[in-house]
Amino acid sequence: MSKTALRAAGISLAVAFACSLAGAANAQLVARKDISSAMALTIAETAIATCKANGYNVSANVLGRNGEVIVAMRGDNTGPHTLENSMKKAYTARAQRRPSGDFGDSIKDNFTAGALHLTNIVPTRGALPIKVGEDTIGAIGVSGAPGGEKDEACAKAGLDKVADELK
Amino acid sequence: MSKTALRIAGVSVASALAAGLAGSANAQLLTHKDISLAMATTIARATIDACKAQGYNVSVHVLGREGQVVLAVRNENAGLATFENSMKKAYTARTFSRSSGEFAAGVKGNPNAGALFLTNITPAQGALPIKIGNETIGAVGVSGAPGGEKDEACAKAGIDKVVADLK
Repeated sequence: MSKTALRAAGISLAVAFACSLAGAANAQLVARKDISSAMALTIAETAIATCKANGYNVSANVLGRNGEVIVAMRGDNTGPHTLENSMKKAYTARAQRRPSGDFGDSIKDNFTAGALHLTNIVPTRGALPIKVGEDTIGAIGVSGAPGGEKDEACAKAGLDKVADELK
Repeated sequence: MSKTALRIAGVSVASALAAGLAGSANAQLLTHKDISLAMATTIARATIDACKAQGYNVSVHVLGREGQVVLAVRNENAGLATFENSMKKAYTARTFSRSSGEFAAGVKGNPNAGALFLTNITPAQGALPIKIGNETIGAVGVSGAPGGEKDEACAKAGIDKVVADLK
């Protein structure tokens, strides 16, 4: 190997080493944006108030990135199952990164779909994922209106209220 | 028996029957006043704000008459256990119709107290019953401040906010 070639190889090694120190790809922290309890309260209150205005009493759950409950609200005069159901719908929307009803539609003819047998997964409309761009950071689930599409409309109203902050 | 006496007896029986139909004491419905979601939201917000003003981040649960969750708020800056703990404290205050701290003091010298082995009962200060007179209709539980008495003070601030409506 010539002296020049050796020097070039040395420089290459030094550059590679410096790069690995600067941006060790396997050890970097993950940078995330998450839902605050203040935002979750706003979403849930808006969803419930919207359904109330439409004449429906509903319960709502706002879940975070890992499916954890950030806010759970039991609506006045709702059925006892609505708090659980709104949580499960939200969990489904979070897990599937799409409306729980879209998931339901996709497995409509497949009762043995594996996802249906996971804990807290339901094929019921009424929940929407909460997204920042393509990143799903949580979900809002609603239960109590006579029809999942009516629940979902209230969930959407809740999300619309904070749309400007979801960035 | 004279004719008059018989007539009086007949009237008495008729009166008793009428009274029995009108107010059959064993079959009347119960009349309750219960916490609305709006009231629970006001309590929770005031509780969180009171602790925040002192520099403490807390999670809060407001439970209803049957110990059911009316409102749950997870504080993103509080410890992981605070969400569960605020629920258990509130459940304890609801169950024993007194502050969870008083319950704790009551069982302090008795680790074998039966109540300690019930689900969701915890001997930790930080929750207060929500009462109308002597009737307990729910509880608010707080967790996250450095000391149960500080949690309880925030719970009190929450209840104080709605005290005029607790009647």
